[in-house]
Amino acid sequence: MPNTTPHSDTHSDTHAVQAAGSRLSRRQFAMAAGGAALTIAIPLHAQSPAQPAAPASGPGPATRPPVNRAPSSFIRIAADGTVTFLLPTCEMGQGIHTAQAMILAEELGADWTRIRTAMPDQVTPDYRLPMGQQRSVGSFGVRFWHDPLRRAAAQTRELLTLAAAERLSVPVASLSAENGYIVHAATGRRVSFGQLVQAASALPVPPSPVLRPAEQRHLTGKTTRRLDTPDKVTGRALYAVDMKAPGMLHGAVRLSPVFRAEVESMDPASVRDMPGVVAVVPVPGGAVVVARSWWQAKQAADKLAIRFKPTPNDRASSAELDERMRAALDAGSVPAALQRGDVAAAFQAPHRIVEADYAVPFLAHACMEPINCMAQARPDRLDLWTGTQAQDILLRDCSAAGGYKPEQIYFHNAYLGGGFGRKTHAEAAVQALLASRAVGGRPVKVLWSRADDMQQGQYRQAMMCRMRAALDPDGRIQGLRVRVAGPQMGRDNGVALINGIADPMSLNGIIDMQYQIPNLLVDHAVVPMPMALSPWRSIANSFTGFFVEAFINECAAAAGKDPLEFRRQHLQGRPRMLAVLDRVAQSAHWASPAPAGVARGLAVVESYGSAVAQVVEARLRDGRVKVEKVHVAIDCGRAINPGQVEAQMSGSVVDALSVALRAKLTIKDGRTEQSSFGDYQILRMGEEPQVVTSIVDIGSPLGGVGEPAVPPLAPALAAAAASLSGKTVRRLPLADDGLA
Amino acid sequence: MSTQLQINGRRVRVEAAAETPLLWVLREELGMTGTKYGCGVGLCGACTVHVGNDPARSCITPVGALAHRQVRTIEGLEHDRIGRALQAAWIAHDVPQCGYCQCGQLMSAAVLLRTTPKPSDADITEAMAGNLCRCGTYDRIRAAIHDAVRALSA
Repeated sequence: MPNTTPHSDTHSDTHAVQAAGSRLSRRQFAMAAGGAALTIAIPLHAQSPAQPAAPASGPGPATRPPVNRAPSSFIRIAADGTVTFLLPTCEMGQGIHTAQAMILAEELGADWTRIRTAMPDQVTPDYRLPMGQQRSVGSFGVRFWHDPLRRAAAQTRELLTLAAAERLSVPVASLSAENGYIVHAATGRRVSFGQLVQAASALPVPPSPVLRPAEQRHLTGKTTRRLDTPDKVTGRALYAVDMKAPGMLHGAVRLSPVFRAEVESMDPASVRDMPGVVAVVPVPGGAVVVARSWWQAKQAADKLAIRFKPTPNDRASSAELDERMRAALDAGSVPAALQRGDVAAAFQAPHRIVEADYAVPFLAHACMEPINCMAQARPDRLDLWTGTQAQDILLRDCSAAGGYKPEQIYFHNAYLGGGFGRKTHAEAAVQALLASRAVGGRPVKVLWSRADDMQQGQYRQAMMCRMRAALDPDGRIQGLRVRVAGPQMGRDNGVALINGIADPMSLNGIIDMQYQIPNLLVDHAVVPMPMALSPWRSIANSFTGFFVEAFINECAAAAGKDPLEFRRQHLQGRPRMLAVLDRVAQSAHWASPAPAGVARGLAVVESYGSAVAQVVEARLRDGRVKVEKVHVAIDCGRAINPGQVEAQMSGSVVDALSVALRAKLTIKDGRTEQSSFGDYQILRMGEEPQVVTSIVDIGSPLGGVGEPAVPPLAPALAAAAASLSGKTVRRLPLADDGLA
Repeated sequence: MSTQLQINGRRVRVEAAAETPLLWVLREELGMTGTKYGCGVGLCGACTVHVGNDPARSCITPVGALAHRQVRTIEGLEHDRIGRALQAAWIAHDVPQCGYCQCGQLMSAAVLLRTTPKPSDADITEAMAGNLCRCGTYDRIRAAIHDAVRALSA
């Protein structure tokens, strides 16, 4: 059984590579830390030590990957033949470690049953996305990393092949790499990778490796069982919260219930005598109580005498924030985020005007594993045991908070018990760093309670939108005016505004919409929010998908057209959108009437490089909408692990349905009212619809899989709910209209 | 103060105060981290263990109440046929995504199959509704339970 712990690479050859990295032609060996395994360490180009994170430029579109990444950054082969893949993306449930390992193993010719996966223990440029950061974001795990990983594997394979050719005195062309061996088919002779490591490491890295042709790609494209499943059904899989270190202590937090309030005063003596308490450590916005067990720390944190300063947020409420967003919908002109054609002219002689306001609430990520991090802060080295989506954010914030140089920061990467965008931030890492320092450098594991996790902000933003369309006599949208009201989440997260105006984390899905509408004007009336905001699975598309697609369904109805035909009419020249629409219509028998009592809704969204169409089939039960079946068609290019594409489709449907039906956060007196799964209700067993997934392959480029199936669900559901109830559904969740 | 427990068939003496939830004793004092903290108030099921023949939320079960009771955790699930059949079905269906809730899911499913060897879909829903999965793996959990039932009756 493959060893699949995501723990950091414990080999020390990063340093060795750095030492020799300035000489591009030099090969070298690096002895593993334990001295047991001899590994290939081939510096293809100079590796610089970890640098401070570049300013975030946001998860923009995938750019062509830089080709020169050192193969040794991703592949280590030991003398005993063990192949270790160092993977740049965190495993938070999306199955990415299996997918990335499939790409590497196939190209390398490794024995799939004998590989190990791990993650790098330091951030170097080789592990960074084009945005300049090591992040697990934007559904880039396959669509960006596929090419660099494949290339690194091909380079390593060619080195091993060259070494085997010398050893066997046969031409390179007569050899192939299969199941961990270089094989000479003509004579049946074969040499294991492990036997070739030493010789291969002395050879120059081929600058232009030849990739395996399609007919030799035997692993990718077929459903392959996940490498992490066996450990996840026995309790052996280690998440950040499970990490241990000698001498470790536990930290519980006491943070301001009002967003962004600072500490006015606290009295550590109020808890000093409680069982197990070791220290009370001031941190931004509150305190960490350190104790011998988390339970003891938590008891003391709850009892800690602490006062917070008043803030302008003390009276913030959902009612007031909603009022400000509604006012912003009505507000006068703001700079256009996108302007195409002449919208004013399009509205001068319309056949029909369609207008609708939409609203979505704040959402929590509510990862099953609450926010946590363990840190050991020594004078010249910081160790972080973490499940993070953003090593570079932790690097940046811990450098700032602790005065460490980036190359002094080491990551012990664990599985994430869910991420959804929330585990991009570094609050717990900074708290653990400060706590560890306060107890003389012992490791401290800081764990937030579920209520801390749900009430400390970093939400998916609340947002409103006004759509106004001018339809011509043929029912075509000639002009569309979109006003979005709400925060600029991207700017809050350090993402540059496009042309200084358009915030991709607020407007993606609108400013890049696929519908062909000749006259379009989009603007964003900014309404700041009291709390910190964080990307939530599919980011802006999680709500712009609802705004655009719900409105398209309303426009189709106003035009008296079938929603599928109406979309086709506006999507000419968009083959991916048309392909998934056709496939989902086929799957749902769209052309035939729905069974009695069943209503259907349709939506299609392209995001994160993939097009996804969905048909929701729902009934009313006791006045509430019950979703029975969801048909999904995705074009993500070639599906690397089709079974996991299906898993992401059905998981995304459940995720999106939870927040479309019931879950939302509300604010009162500057604090969040919900605290746990009792008042933030996600779907439970028995509420899950049947999900029927079709993977459409029309030769498109590789697309994302973890996020793109979230956006279409809510608008498709809203259309079905509207048919069933006769009500107009323009806000989420449906429970607010008594429909769930 | 110390409490004598029977965990996965082994006698253990633990030192935690009597009111300490079993979850933290398992995770921190005994180093058994397969049982997970999800909510601390019995709403999510990630911490599910067996006490005697019943499922229990270890995050709200004081260790002092368990003296001499039989506790089983995920680390002991493979000790019987039902547990092994469930784990095999979970693997065959690749049920977990993030996997954080899955130990609790398996522990709830094991109690179900012990009391109801041939569960209906409604039985599964009732037995499993207390175990949240944020990744939405419910369809595969259901299919895996049905598969385990078939394997056990074969």
